Amino acid sequence: MDSQRIEAAGSGRRRFLWFTGLGALGTAGAGGAAVMLDFVHPKVLFEPPSSFRVGRPESFPVNSVTADYARKVYLVRTEVGFFALSAVCTHLGCITRHVEEEGAIFCPCHGSKFAVDGSLLMGPATRGLRRIAIRLEDGELVVDSELEVEKDAVLRV
Amino acid sequence: MNVLELKERVVATPVWRSIFRHRYLDSNRNRALTVFSNVFLHIHPVKVPEKSLRLRHTMCLGGLSFALFLALTVTGVLLMFYYRPAIPQAYRDMKELEFVVTSGALLRNLHRWAAHAMVLFVFLHMARVFYSGAYRPPREFNWVVGVLLLILSLLLSYTGYLLPWDQLAFWAITVGTNMAEAAPLIGPKFKFLLLGGNVIGENALVRFYVLHCVVLPLAAAVLLAVHFWRVRKDGGVRPL
Amino acid sequence: MHVESGSQGATLPQRVALLHRQLPARLEAPEEKLVMTFPHLIVREVIAMEILLIVLGLVSLFYDAPLESLANPNKTPNPAKAPWYFLGLQELLHYFPPVVAGVLIPALVVIALIIIPYFRVNFERDSLWSQRRPARLYGLSGGVLLLILFLAWFRVWAALAPTALIGLLMISIFPSRERGLWGFLIHRTAWARFFTGVHAGLAGLSLAAWIMSWFITLAVILTVVGTLFRGPGWSFVWPWQL
Repeated sequence: MDSQRIEAAGSGRRRFLWFTGLGALGTAGAGGAAVMLDFVHPKVLFEPPSSFRVGRPESFPVNSVTADYARKVYLVRTEVGFFALSAVCTHLGCITRHVEEEGAIFCPCHGSKFAVDGSLLMGPATRGLRRIAIRLEDGELVVDSELEVEKDAVLRV
Repeated sequence: MNVLELKERVVATPVWRSIFRHRYLDSNRNRALTVFSNVFLHIHPVKVPEKSLRLRHTMCLGGLSFALFLALTVTGVLLMFYYRPAIPQAYRDMKELEFVVTSGALLRNLHRWAAHAMVLFVFLHMARVFYSGAYRPPREFNWVVGVLLLILSLLLSYTGYLLPWDQLAFWAITVGTNMAEAAPLIGPKFKFLLLGGNVIGENALVRFYVLHCVVLPLAAAVLLAVHFWRVRKDGGVRPL
Repeated sequence: MHVESGSQGATLPQRVALLHRQLPARLEAPEEKLVMTFPHLIVREVIAMEILLIVLGLVSLFYDAPLESLANPNKTPNPAKAPWYFLGLQELLHYFPPVVAGVLIPALVVIALIIIPYFRVNFERDSLWSQRRPARLYGLSGGVLLLILFLAWFRVWAALAPTALIGLLMISIFPSRERGLWGFLIHRTAWARFFTGVHAGLAGLSLAAWIMSWFITLAVILTVVGTLFRGPGWSFVWPWQL
């Protein structure tokens, strides 16, 4: 059959069937793709809780940085109060290290450097460490690593 | 009955004749049939220009990339017999392969070095095709298929990198997925779906395992078939 | 263009041939000598494959694949490195923000590779300085200069040095071979024959070949720097200090 005859017949019934068929196929395809996308989307996550207790305020000396690498958080106590920093580098997610002698926080992956208040000292990271929520609960400090707070937020105790 | 007679008898049986339809006699007809009647060899034409046999026309780079793909498939399938994509079993299985399983360490070495070599050879093959101008019409589309195969080679190697579940694997994947997360709009969602969560854990390991052992090899096999088919259809190797 | 048509134009079959000026004068491929695929090609393929497998087997017998300690999400090794073929990219991540080095540059490279055959890149393969010489000189010098300034701004010395070198080499071919540095090298030095050959080779390269060579050089250098010259905290070290 040559293309001219298909085109001539394409005005009426054949055209309708052609588009209905294609439309049905497209709808089914889009639906299938959506179901697949939802299928690979995990519904339950067995991940460590983002909120955890770190200890009583008295156990941290003034002007100290306490690193908890297992839970990827720095707890800093200044003369004003407490704040918590996420130890996850804002560049590409490596765990940073606090070096006491230099009074700074270093990322081993790409050489970013941060001050102990979280601010950026040297790239390639483009922003400082995330300051995360900290609150006092039953006389104990509780940190939530998923909740980011203002850069100058301090918990006064 | 000597061996030659036995061979003649075997070759004359209907069973043998049903598998190999022509005799191995050194005639051009039989040589043509060898290629023509074989599903694997008929990716080649029956005759090729003598010039294209020269080593410096192709340096064998494309063919060797494919040979590495085959070697990786064989060693990879064998390794799968002893590997469980779970934490910490994955790492224990690595140790078991290394110290307990007969030839386990050798197979893992072969798989690892062949993977590195494949990335290198595919890249060199691309450079060779560029410098010899072999991407010009009518082979534009095959060049694009080749670029996709280069990306697939990198992805195959990268997804395999996580499977040993050692420090090297974990942090290489951490850096890699965070790079993907930097992509505007779809980045964070893509990373979440790739890892099956927010952290690199059991979900991520299973996902990388499935991608590495099933999804990406199948995609590569399909694209390889297209790639070879187009080499044949677009004309053989005839650089300037 | 030449069109022939008979007096009975409506009934006589006609053929109009359009010839592009860049088409080779001879359209018929010359009679090539053909050989049977089996055994000539197949045997060579098998030999190449066997050599590959022997080399691979020997390497695997004597060098073990690396296996470090069990993954520990709380302890980042220092330095943390991706597989070697991504270390060029990781080296770039040291200089540029992730959006640029991790997404923009790889995406641009892939797009640039894919469009090569569709933009008639390098089809005619005319050498860079064969036509429109002044325009190309200003355009290319400006382009190379901008690239160097961009790399200097981000302090990407590992990429800046080869870029500047290749740019200088490309532009140094511009004067005729009787004058300039090449004239001196070709006519006045003991290595004259060697430099004549190098000059002829470089002068024959097309713009696309220059760009591709630049890309490959950069990829190799960045990968080597990332693999061999980067230690703790991504600081510069010598390979024997690793």
